[in-house]
Amino acid sequence: MKRRSYGRDSGLTLRILLTGSLLGLLYVVFAVILFQVLSVGLVPMIVIVVGLAFFQYFTSDKLALKASGAKIVERDEAPELHDMIERLCALADLPKPRVAVIDTDVPNAFATGRSPKHAAVAVTRGLWQRLEPKEVEGVLAHELSHVANRDVLIMTLASFFAMLAGILTRFGLYGGMFGGGRGRDNNQVPVWLIVLVVSVVTYFLSQILILAISRYREFAADRGSALITGAPENLMSALQKISSEIFRIPQQDLREVESMNAFFIIPASVKGSIHGLFLTHPPLEKRLAALAEIAREMGRPVA
Amino acid sequence: MGLRDALFGKQKLAGPARERLFALSTAAVTLDTELGLRSAGAGGVVFKPLSSGDFVRAENDLQQLLDGVAAESGSKLERREDAFGYTWIIVRDSDLEDQVTGVHAVAQGLEEAGFGGQLLAAVFKFEGGKEPVYWVYGYKRGAFWPFVPAGEGKERDNAEELELKAKLEKELPIEPDLSRWFGVFDAPL
Repeated sequence: MKRRSYGRDSGLTLRILLTGSLLGLLYVVFAVILFQVLSVGLVPMIVIVVGLAFFQYFTSDKLALKASGAKIVERDEAPELHDMIERLCALADLPKPRVAVIDTDVPNAFATGRSPKHAAVAVTRGLWQRLEPKEVEGVLAHELSHVANRDVLIMTLASFFAMLAGILTRFGLYGGMFGGGRGRDNNQVPVWLIVLVVSVVTYFLSQILILAISRYREFAADRGSALITGAPENLMSALQKISSEIFRIPQQDLREVESMNAFFIIPASVKGSIHGLFLTHPPLEKRLAALAEIAREMGRPVA
Repeated sequence: MGLRDALFGKQKLAGPARERLFALSTAAVTLDTELGLRSAGAGGVVFKPLSSGDFVRAENDLQQLLDGVAAESGSKLERREDAFGYTWIIVRDSDLEDQVTGVHAVAQGLEEAGFGGQLLAAVFKFEGGKEPVYWVYGYKRGAFWPFVPAGEGKERDNAEELELKAKLEKELPIEPDLSRWFGVFDAPL
């Protein structure tokens, strides 16, 4: 379920976040229906959840590429991009991932795939066109670090436990209701409603935790990028460019690029209202400060 | 990759694998007698320079090392920056063994200064076939692969490359994962 992206308030991030949340909600609704309506027991339930987690884990790359509208490009379509990624992979000792391009002006990138062997790295046309090659390299190295750090696996595990916690909470609650609820049916809220509320709350809380893990992984990937490229300042300037408002102004007439609409569906005012807790990425200032610290570290004598 | 790396992310770049660069000197005979390929007189080492002060100091030491290597073997050493932001140290010498020694000395110098992780590859150019043949040595993997550019654009003669792999497999440690055989189209050799 892990999708990586840059720029905390880009349309892409929100869009992918939305997809991810909906997917999670779907889990909950699905689980509740199974549990309540079909009266499936706890064990088959866990089996189903584990099955879904596996399915998600094994299809994560395809799902993420589909959701973002990324198109796999071969070497002859984007030779420079391929060259750059090949060299970074050689430095990071990673197999070469598939390379995809998203046709939008907003500079952004993400990596996906359950293991380095099944990884894909996607960049937007805007990233390639609007950033200097050194900055693109910093961004690509960040994405490759996600691959090297196995962030898809980590995040799948994180969401799996969140799902499991949700189910156990419901199971406990359901049992409790059954024991104490007999004979007082008249003035009770329907059981299914309580179960649903608890599920949603559990889901909501676990999402906050998962997002916190995600932000931490971003710091780790920033560090990885600094290590691979040897130049944290490139990623720093790339991040500043990516999050700068100027790049939100489309270079092309929106009417020409229909697919662009999807990225501008969310009104600009939403950005300011989103609290730090709900972000997959740490705030820019914190990332820049951490990178500056890495730069200082790298300047220290090597023992 | 260890648990620590999985939990906290990689904290440092992998260092170079055990060096097997000298295998190329041994394979030179086979390359010449069986395939008619001879050194084109240039080999080089590619690395990613760091932006830190220590690296600049290490690079200054490297310059002294380069001068030493040049004086000893009579090779000509050149330094180039490529479009990808990598630095090439090119050893020009008609003798392949001297090229390998020069490249090895540069790599060793960087490694001793603590920058072994920055080493990308060593590249040696051969001629005698239809197209020039490059043998690329990946430091992280400690293995070689052939690179044969073909035609005008960025195209490779994969058939030729696989044939070279088959013929040299016994003498050279060849990278088994074909997806790691990156090309060096702009090699300033």
